[in-house]
Amino acid sequence: MSPVQRSPRNLRLRHAVRLALPGALALVFAGSYGATPPAAAPVAAPPVAAAPVAAPGVRNPAHLAADGMAPPGPSVRNPYHGNTKIAKAGAALFTSMNCDGCHGGDGSGWVGPSLADGRWRYGGSDAAVFRSIFYGRPKGMPAFGGVLGARGVWVLVTYLKSLPAPPDVPTESWRRR
Amino acid sequence: MRAAAALAILSLAVGAQRILAAAAPAAPPAGAGGEWRMPAGDDAATRFSRLQQIDAANAPHLRPLWTFSTGVLGGHEGQPLVVDDTMYVVTPWPNVLYAFDLTRPGYPLKWKYRPDVNADAIGESCCDAVNRGAVFADGKIIYNLLDGHTVAVDAATGRRIWKTKIADVADGETTTMAPFVVRDRVLVGASGGEFGIYGWLKALDLHTGRIVWTAHNLGPDAGMLVRPGIFHPPYVSGTELGARSWAHGTWKHGGAPVWGWISYDPKLDLIYYGTGNAGPYDADERAGDDRWTSSVLARRPEDGALVWAYQFTPHDSWDYDATGAMILADLTIAGRRVDALVHFDKNGFAYTLDRATGRVLVAKPFAHVTWATSIDLADGRPVVDPAMQTGVAEGNVKGICPSLEGGVSPSSPAAYSPRTHLFYTSTNNLCMDYAASRVSYLKGTPYIGVTSPYMAGPGGNLGAFIAWNGATGRIAWKDPERYPSWSGALATAGNVVFYGTLDGWFKAVDATSGKLLYRFKVGSGVVGNPIAYRGPDGRQYVAVYAGIGGDWALLAGDTRSDDPTDVRAPADFIKDIASRTSQGGIVWIFGL
Repeated sequence: MSPVQRSPRNLRLRHAVRLALPGALALVFAGSYGATPPAAAPVAAPPVAAAPVAAPGVRNPAHLAADGMAPPGPSVRNPYHGNTKIAKAGAALFTSMNCDGCHGGDGSGWVGPSLADGRWRYGGSDAAVFRSIFYGRPKGMPAFGGVLGARGVWVLVTYLKSLPAPPDVPTESWRRR
Repeated sequence: MRAAAALAILSLAVGAQRILAAAAPAAPPAGAGGEWRMPAGDDAATRFSRLQQIDAANAPHLRPLWTFSTGVLGGHEGQPLVVDDTMYVVTPWPNVLYAFDLTRPGYPLKWKYRPDVNADAIGESCCDAVNRGAVFADGKIIYNLLDGHTVAVDAATGRRIWKTKIADVADGETTTMAPFVVRDRVLVGASGGEFGIYGWLKALDLHTGRIVWTAHNLGPDAGMLVRPGIFHPPYVSGTELGARSWAHGTWKHGGAPVWGWISYDPKLDLIYYGTGNAGPYDADERAGDDRWTSSVLARRPEDGALVWAYQFTPHDSWDYDATGAMILADLTIAGRRVDALVHFDKNGFAYTLDRATGRVLVAKPFAHVTWATSIDLADGRPVVDPAMQTGVAEGNVKGICPSLEGGVSPSSPAAYSPRTHLFYTSTNNLCMDYAASRVSYLKGTPYIGVTSPYMAGPGGNLGAFIAWNGATGRIAWKDPERYPSWSGALATAGNVVFYGTLDGWFKAVDATSGKLLYRFKVGSGVVGNPIAYRGPDGRQYVAVYAGIGGDWALLAGDTRSDDPTDVRAPADFIKDIASRTSQGGIVWIFGL
């Protein structure tokens, strides 16, 4: 699978989302917070899928999870940070996008890593989590930016960051039975 | 959907095959000899070795002779091959192929083949990035890469001969099964029962890798290679059975993946394979029998034509894949000699079928079963307990046995000994609650829709290794295990049976009594399948992988040490497994 082939996939996905998930998306995009993000919180525009060009020295461009899209830059900021209503919408989106199929119910972890334990493979800042969802990550995390757009991804980020991380207990012990 | 073969070439090939069949010599004896050239050792999938140097008297003197770390932590399902004094080992993703020289001390590598396998495939794998092994044919080692490719590698040099894209990772298809070869056909299928795939089996040309035919396991007759006058299912009749048994076209994302084992009867010239679960797990979304999910299909290898099919679990509502091995054995049932096919299903019943017709001769539970009371031999259907029917409308259905891990995992194939006339298999003693939920199909994402916690079945032990009489449908003996038993079995002419446990014991037991003869702690839980072979020194050896994984429920105790972010909630039913084992792939060789 090359990035060139992936763009139509995303288009089909977007179509499928419109057909299958009007409720969930309406909740996210036209719900309690309106169709546009607050003006005070600029959001990186969803990057346009430019014709992807493999970087020099990259033998298999399909291994790049970023889909050939330009990174949003260092100014990435979550417009909904701390917004509990958005977090609730994100919980619904987490299920309807089948995120729980890999990351488990409530993001508690399954084949995909837990998103609720406070440990982050690719960084736990809002921006880092945004990048993981928007562009995907190696070892199997698909890029959802093309399906959800930047706002949809921020809704998910807001939900995940609202999950209370349990205390980190690095010791496991087993008593003799 | 994909490649269509030219009819003229097909009919030529079929003609040639008839001539070959007429001149064919007598069938070889059952089981494997000094080598282990295919996943189950022989065409009949018996996993029986004719070697008898290791026997019940000397098995207590077995000892480990050699080990090798594969460097990979994923679940090490499958088994090595031994061909002409070389051992071949395929790892889980990234699917490295090792060739060990068994003629030299320490078994150094002859070569190592490191393919470029797309890591996206890991995220499209339901249950760990496993690989179930390779097959040897025509001087080639042939196996599947996780990212939807089949490769043929020169067995002598390690150079790639051909590589064919057979599956699309973007559709949720991954390729975990071991290919199977009949004459010049390489048979391959794809996993993806949790991603709503449109399941299929393909045949590739052994010499070029070209796709010769594609046969779907569900949907319209044309795609299933159902041809008038050839397809005779034992209990149903009519056309378009694979499409009409689904509500409003739901077969399109209905699953029926092929990720288990294939067997072949040269006399009938039929291949047999099982299909996986129906998708999604919420059965209310696909009213009907959902053929041919959770079924066994018999096809002609030459052109793929479907000859018969039998569905173990109609309208699968419990994730009861039927991808476990279809073992071909000649049994005597009530005084009558039968060309039989024996299958241990996830649904907890073991089936003995007439392999010419697909009719059920014997069907009895080998594990604790609550979802059905029996199999009706008149119509071949399970007598389902209505209280165990699942679906969104049914709410949280409690106390279903077996769990969706199965009475046995299909990745833990059984063995058959023509000496004892017994079958040997791992089993699980797990039950579950099942709360289905609505789910939307999104290409390439999980299409599941269930919350299903597990608990131990009666007795408290989570598994057992059993010997089974396929003629009577009774357990001959049973060795309880603390954890679900997840390895394949090996039977040998020395009357010793081998298997491994999830907490990392490799065991040799007496084939007649089940008595433990030898055990050794192999460093990680065993989910692979033991094999036997004759070394260059003429002595018998037994090889097996250690390396727990393969289903994430098994790893629920946070056993992964190479990734500090991999913190999963421990599963209540098996929470102390991490105190006894940890991930890591190791090849072991035992001998006297």
